Amino acid sequence: MDKSVIAALARQAGLDRALAAFPDCVANAAAQVFGGKGAIGRSDEIEAPSAPTAEPWPPMRVGGAR
Amino acid sequence: MTADLHWLTAAGARRAFAAKTLSPVELVRALLDRVGRLDPQLNAFIRVDAEGALDAAAAAEAEMARGLHRGPLHGVPVGIKDIIDVAGLPTTCHSKVMPAMPAAADAVVVAKLRQAGAVIMGKLSTHEFAIGGPSFDLPWPPARNPWNRDHHPGGSSSGSGAGLGAGFFPLALGTDTGGSVRNPASACGIVGLKPTYGLVSRRGVFPLAFSLDHVGPMTRDVTDNALLLGVLAGHDPLDPGSAATTRHDYQVGLERGVRDLRIGFVRHFHERDLLADPEVAAGLETVARTLAGEGAALRDVVLPSLAAFAAVNRVILNAEAWSIHAPWLRERPGDYGMLARRRLMPGAFLSAGDLLAAQRRRGQMIAAVDAALEEVDVLLCASSMDPPSRIDDAEETARTYPRQARAPFNTTGHPALAMRAGLSRAGLPLSVQFVGRNFAEATLFQVARAWERAAGIDTQHPAWL
Repeated sequence: MDKSVIAALARQAGLDRALAAFPDCVANAAAQVFGGKGAIGRSDEIEAPSAPTAEPWPPMRVGGAR
Repeated sequence: MTADLHWLTAAGARRAFAAKTLSPVELVRALLDRVGRLDPQLNAFIRVDAEGALDAAAAAEAEMARGLHRGPLHGVPVGIKDIIDVAGLPTTCHSKVMPAMPAAADAVVVAKLRQAGAVIMGKLSTHEFAIGGPSFDLPWPPARNPWNRDHHPGGSSSGSGAGLGAGFFPLALGTDTGGSVRNPASACGIVGLKPTYGLVSRRGVFPLAFSLDHVGPMTRDVTDNALLLGVLAGHDPLDPGSAATTRHDYQVGLERGVRDLRIGFVRHFHERDLLADPEVAAGLETVARTLAGEGAALRDVVLPSLAAFAAVNRVILNAEAWSIHAPWLRERPGDYGMLARRRLMPGAFLSAGDLLAAQRRRGQMIAAVDAALEEVDVLLCASSMDPPSRIDDAEETARTYPRQARAPFNTTGHPALAMRAGLSRAGLPLSVQFVGRNFAEATLFQVARAWERAAGIDTQHPAWL
């Protein structure tokens, strides 16, 4: 992914200081998400259920919240 | 009684106390002396609480003299991973980020240990915040493997594994979010259990990822692990993830053997998904053959692939960890070591859609493991695909670290136990993992004990120690 896009996303996440002091670490973190095969969050590896009714785990349960 | 006190199990210590051939103070002094001599080479401890341990041991001794029995761990020493609060001691998380002030109260698991009479020896090394390690840029050095100190002891509960393998204490607490109890158990040749999600309270433990975090018992043998889990387990109404369970004596049935049990061998984990080191694969075959010889009915079982499990686990772990660390990563990124910084920031780049896709797939994975466990009583599979890497070889450590089959069961919440399957030709531990139905830890212990007894591995220790 383009460096300027990474920088914009990092700033949006509030990582301005990390971007200034540790640009390699920010780039490494972004590459873990936007890299090639094995990248975190790649939709082809997650194989999310195609059924629209498949709910996320855990299901919402009422009561008990603190 | 002075010979080899450091290899005494908790059960053995209890027997010796009862027979009055050993006192808690004598045991704690011997262990503190050993820690003083050997820990500079292994770095298992971040802080040894010698004064606190000796005071607690003296109190236990006085209580025993009066005939008072405080609980099943009366006078038994235990080490605590340093992301778990112990009142009066700082919880460093092995990081410069954490304030140096002492914890105001014990974590629930530590309070339970004290109630049972245990003696807290001190706080143990971890990967920074249970994720960034092994690192050499932190305020404390990383722990080393007791079988060969040039090798990694696994993580993130590194000090717990190293200290048990070195004979510094018979019991330890670890935490496990993607395998952090079972990895050091595998690398250090000890027994580590990730209990069913919700069985053991997490209150007072610094979180890494809320829906994946577990506290687990780490010991040198299966009997002690069952003993320790019996102390730790139980409902905590103030832990939102705690399950409404009743206490259980996990030692009952330990020696029953496996004659009536069906064991599912998940071969594709190490034969197809990630090709295991040949010595690891041979070790798994030996365990399977041995358990079959003991009377278990073995069959192959298929689960979703390790790649599928890993994809889901990494999204959830990264998203949850980012939500915890974002304020500090924004304000003081330089206070983290490089590895923690790199492993905690990916969550900043994930979307809500990524997380929901993972959580929806997670539901299917839980159902798949539940379905497999309707056909068999216990699953047998790999833990680590490789023997422990050299600790100074960052590239090899980075290559081998994700080559594991532990994280699937953080994703699904099923109980999973890792232990030694043998030793490599280089003298490093090889490992096996057993996985059970939810809240069926007793069956896991039954299988693990049958393997331990048949293999005689509970009496083997590193030669130089």
